[in-house]
Amino acid sequence: MRNYAHLELQPAPGLNVFVGANAQGKSNLLEAISLLGTGKSFRTNRERDLIRDGFELATISGEAHVKAGAIRLGCTLTATPRGSRKLYTVNGRSVRYATFLGSLRVVSFVPADLHLVDGPPSVRRSFLNSALAQEQKSYYRELARYQKALSQKTALLRAEAAPDPELLKIYDETLVTSGTALMIARNHFVRALGAAASKVHARWSDGREHLELTYRPNVQFEAETEDSIAGSFEERLRAGAEMERLRRVALVGPHRDDLALDLDGRSLAAFGSQGQQRTAVLAVKVGEYAVMHERSGEAPLLLLDDVLSELDPQRARAFLEGVGEFEQAFITATQLPGALSLASVYEIRDARVIPGPS
Amino acid sequence: MPSSGSIAGPVQALINELSKLPTIGPKTAARLVFYLLNRPRNEAQSLAEAILAVKDRVRLCSNCFSITEEDPCPICTDERRDATIICVVAEAKDIFALERTGAYKGRYHVLGGLISPMDGIGPAQLRVKELVDRVGRENPHEIILATNPNAEGEATAVYLSRLLTPLASAVTRLAYGLPIGGDLDYADEVTLAKAIEGRRTL
Repeated sequence: MRNYAHLELQPAPGLNVFVGANAQGKSNLLEAISLLGTGKSFRTNRERDLIRDGFELATISGEAHVKAGAIRLGCTLTATPRGSRKLYTVNGRSVRYATFLGSLRVVSFVPADLHLVDGPPSVRRSFLNSALAQEQKSYYRELARYQKALSQKTALLRAEAAPDPELLKIYDETLVTSGTALMIARNHFVRALGAAASKVHARWSDGREHLELTYRPNVQFEAETEDSIAGSFEERLRAGAEMERLRRVALVGPHRDDLALDLDGRSLAAFGSQGQQRTAVLAVKVGEYAVMHERSGEAPLLLLDDVLSELDPQRARAFLEGVGEFEQAFITATQLPGALSLASVYEIRDARVIPGPS
Repeated sequence: MPSSGSIAGPVQALINELSKLPTIGPKTAARLVFYLLNRPRNEAQSLAEAILAVKDRVRLCSNCFSITEEDPCPICTDERRDATIICVVAEAKDIFALERTGAYKGRYHVLGGLISPMDGIGPAQLRVKELVDRVGRENPHEIILATNPNAEGEATAVYLSRLLTPLASAVTRLAYGLPIGGDLDYADEVTLAKAIEGRRTL
């Protein structure tokens, strides 16, 4: 996979730190581990890039010890003329993505996550989606149904001919049923995430600052019930139908949701200093870890790709303390971060993993 | 393996032709070509003729749009088949699957695809108007919608059911459920949930 021809690794419990210069294969290693959890790369949508240049196949497999016992997970990518194909296995049996997903829970933190506050809403939506899809299979299923119907609706609106109203109605019905499920799940999750993130944030600021996370659904609703949300959704679709036809875009629904991050009641993106924004992102990531830990009843794997080197030592230490007792973590860094103790250290040089301190 | 420039022209040409086929990549194509090279000439000839015959002699039935040698097709002209039931399928190959069961005695209608605006396919690109005309003409008792249980198949079935319900006495959809001989704990959650929804009294 990527620059690795072959690698076998038996990581230690606790902290595993991969140290090496740039472009030696540190992130590739983490990417491979995350692939076993989420089934997707945390870096790219073009999965063909995961296959080593000049080869047609990439395969990663691992044994994980989870609450349910030991499981063997595998993911194989095969190059095809138009991209790549992925096959998933659990205990040697080939399974669908929906079955594979969530067998091993992973929380990853990569430099791109630092834009959770100052990036566009799509960054926050995909953060919510990947956390929730890992946690609930039904969320992934509804998301896939929603996105399919949305693409069909968009294509219909963009077509030269006037959209067939009956057909538009059929896609809108799917958007409402799946979209309502997404909104309910996001609402619950953001509430739990907000509570966990603001708790750790309060500890860091000695209670001087208050971090607040608020779910900002595109379709606002009064009561958090399926009927109320679906009702508001239908109403907004009816009211917006004319505008959607004119602008040829699907304007209504959770594909336009956002997540607001406020510090002491003021928008962090607009008013927060860079330091405040970073601390908030760390708190959100610690919150994600805590919520996933609590909801699944087991500690997720923690993957930190190069973020500790981007943070000052004080914040790096605060983050690791915030996460608390993780069972296993994988960290990459160009230099051994001072914040780490009791770590198993490996040096990565030209796609080779050399145990022992560098 | 020699580079493509050093392979005899006709060999390369056939590899190129075969790799255009679905599920066949350049490697499989090369294997087929070298296999054919070692077979007697008459085998190659009958393969070539069979391919041409498919193009020259097979056409669409003007009634149900299935593929046939004679128009109308044998299913549409078979008096023993029930003309009051029309089973709507996406492609002619679906008829082969249903016919293998031997359980269906009615007639068919081939849509020629499924509704998918992303792929530029709307009701106008399919034989929907032909179906509506046929239903008006033949006045069937039942129309069975036998499209695939995926997003496009579902959307097409819902669209057709709304269009046809005022015109026919019964519009039905194939049941969803568990594969026969399967195990409950091997079934995925969606299929199982659909099977519970579609349960029936014994």
